[in-house]
Amino acid sequence: MNTSQWAQLFAIIRLEIWKTFFSRRSLWIYLFTLAPVLLFTANSIYAPREQARLARIAEKHQVALANLTAITRGMTNSVVLEQLGEPYQQHTWRHPIEGGRVNERGFYRYTDGKSDFTFHFNNGRVRGIERSDPETLPQNFLIFATIFRFYFLRLAVFFGCVGIFTNLFRGEMLDKSLHFYLLTPVRREILLAGKYLAGLLAAMVIFTASAALQWEALLWQFDHQTVADYFADPSSAHLLSYLGVTVLACAAYGSIFLCAGLLFRNPIVPAAIILLWESANLFLPATLQKLGVIYYLQSLCPLAAAPDSNMPVPLTRLISATTPASASMALVVLILFTLGVLVFSGVRSRKLEINYSTD
Amino acid sequence: MTDSANITLDNVSRFYGEVLGVNRVTLSIPPGITSLVGPNGSGKTTLMNLMTGLVRPTYGEIRIRGIAPSEPQKLFHLVGYSTQFDSFPKGLTGFQFIQSFLRFFGYSSATSLELAGRAIAQVGLTEAADRKIAAYSKGMRQRIKLAQAIAHDPQVLVLDEPLNGLDPLIRAETIALFRRWADEGRHVVVSSHVLHEVDLISDRVILLTGGYVVAEGQIHGVRTEIQEHPMEVLIRCDQPGALASRVFEQEHVVSVQILPDGSGLLVQTRDADRFYRQLNHLALDNIQIESVAPADDNVNSVYQYLIGGEEVSK
Repeated sequence: MNTSQWAQLFAIIRLEIWKTFFSRRSLWIYLFTLAPVLLFTANSIYAPREQARLARIAEKHQVALANLTAITRGMTNSVVLEQLGEPYQQHTWRHPIEGGRVNERGFYRYTDGKSDFTFHFNNGRVRGIERSDPETLPQNFLIFATIFRFYFLRLAVFFGCVGIFTNLFRGEMLDKSLHFYLLTPVRREILLAGKYLAGLLAAMVIFTASAALQWEALLWQFDHQTVADYFADPSSAHLLSYLGVTVLACAAYGSIFLCAGLLFRNPIVPAAIILLWESANLFLPATLQKLGVIYYLQSLCPLAAAPDSNMPVPLTRLISATTPASASMALVVLILFTLGVLVFSGVRSRKLEINYSTD
Repeated sequence: MTDSANITLDNVSRFYGEVLGVNRVTLSIPPGITSLVGPNGSGKTTLMNLMTGLVRPTYGEIRIRGIAPSEPQKLFHLVGYSTQFDSFPKGLTGFQFIQSFLRFFGYSSATSLELAGRAIAQVGLTEAADRKIAAYSKGMRQRIKLAQAIAHDPQVLVLDEPLNGLDPLIRAETIALFRRWADEGRHVVVSSHVLHEVDLISDRVILLTGGYVVAEGQIHGVRTEIQEHPMEVLIRCDQPGALASRVFEQEHVVSVQILPDGSGLLVQTRDADRFYRQLNHLALDNIQIESVAPADDNVNSVYQYLIGGEEVSK
């Protein structure tokens, strides 16, 4: 590329990036991206307040943790009261059942100042125990990893890239303004590269900022020492890995949806098919899993999160446990795949025509 | 004029699936103002889109001053195209629109600012330059499109209905601008449905119907070629009756009609050149001829004769 072509490339990026960030079409992408940040922020506000509340309660209703854990299912409520004393909160309700009998249900809540215990009674006996422990950093990182894999990558980044990259060409066609680009002395490949890089920059800024903010929001509730202790172990510093995976996801999905915007009148159809394929990845045989972008992205994620611990057993049987690809392999495959799709798009862009009436 | 200095189309056809865009068009357009005239769907816009590479020919070859439309990096230093599409990139002011796309030409920021200002001034939009295009009137949008087409000072201008929506004053100024460009040796290819304006501005016309070129060349030449419609000549004179009887004796004269107000006569002849040569002899014996002028040697007549009752495109 000569100097003039570089200048053209930067001019395209400058115009496109401005449009991508400030178009009305981008609004839902911001909402989609901000959702997990809001979730982590809300949790970081709620969790310390909940801890403070439990501590205040414990000042009046202090119960030792050993006593709380000694309660088992089947004990009567009188035994519970005998061992733990009066709960800080209780509720009982009765409702009639067959034969004129009455079913009595209720719960008692106790705390040692840190954990919150709820004992559920049925006709005077403990039928269920709920325990809510204070949040820990590793536990929160696991939640982050799960949200990152199952919401952020599969939905937020995926649909964000659909919105950003399909609009680069298809949006211009719908607005009937693509011809202005084609009436300039710019090679189609450079136009494509400029638009792709602008989309990639915008997507990277939006999604890496979201991932970083989620991380920050997650850490917010923990004191400085807890965080410092956790990160004293270098293997715990995952943020850069997550940001890297986000960038690679934007690059790979971006290339796919840029190409879809070039090839298809309605890119939502191929986007839906790809979403289906990527979503089904967990349930595919090991060999087929390797044909999905998500497989390589997940292989690069530092924390392995279970698909869903509450998932019904029959469904978990359907999940294929596949060995993740090595980091270098995943990186090479994602980069080569992205370049391949871009080269194909470049070739197709040479045949691009303006025919708005049929577009 | 060599073909490398012209716009050439060699047996160009374009089909949209089974629908014909243009068929077997062969043209060599020299510099000057060339008007494309034809009814809706006649292929005018397709021809312009083909010249600028917005669509590719199904068959045939196109060269714009020797450059193929498939080489935009060369072509658009030479060509400016104001399309019929009345839409613009969103959120930009007129000035930002012109200046942003000038950067695509490789101009520096300072040069693109200067060129954008100059182009906007040429179309009389300086005062509205900093307003969003979305707030422009139809005439202003037409002018900003024209400014975008001329901003990089192209040698070939392709303008699809450039006078649409312009008020009379701006219209006259724009026509004068076309004339100036043509006189500078540039190509100005325009499509228009206002036939009397085409007549006024064009050095030559290309008549299209149903995707075919039915005639092309200078108006007079095209008119002369239409043998089945005799040429009409309007003569203003003081003794129309006497002149009519002499004129009608000529074997190439088809009809003679004295004007209702008695101020002259309308002659239909199969050989206009011969008629003009004979007129001096016919008009002896104190018949005072005030003026002689062709009555149907214009685009409108040519259009009516060749394309007939089909509606002129809007």
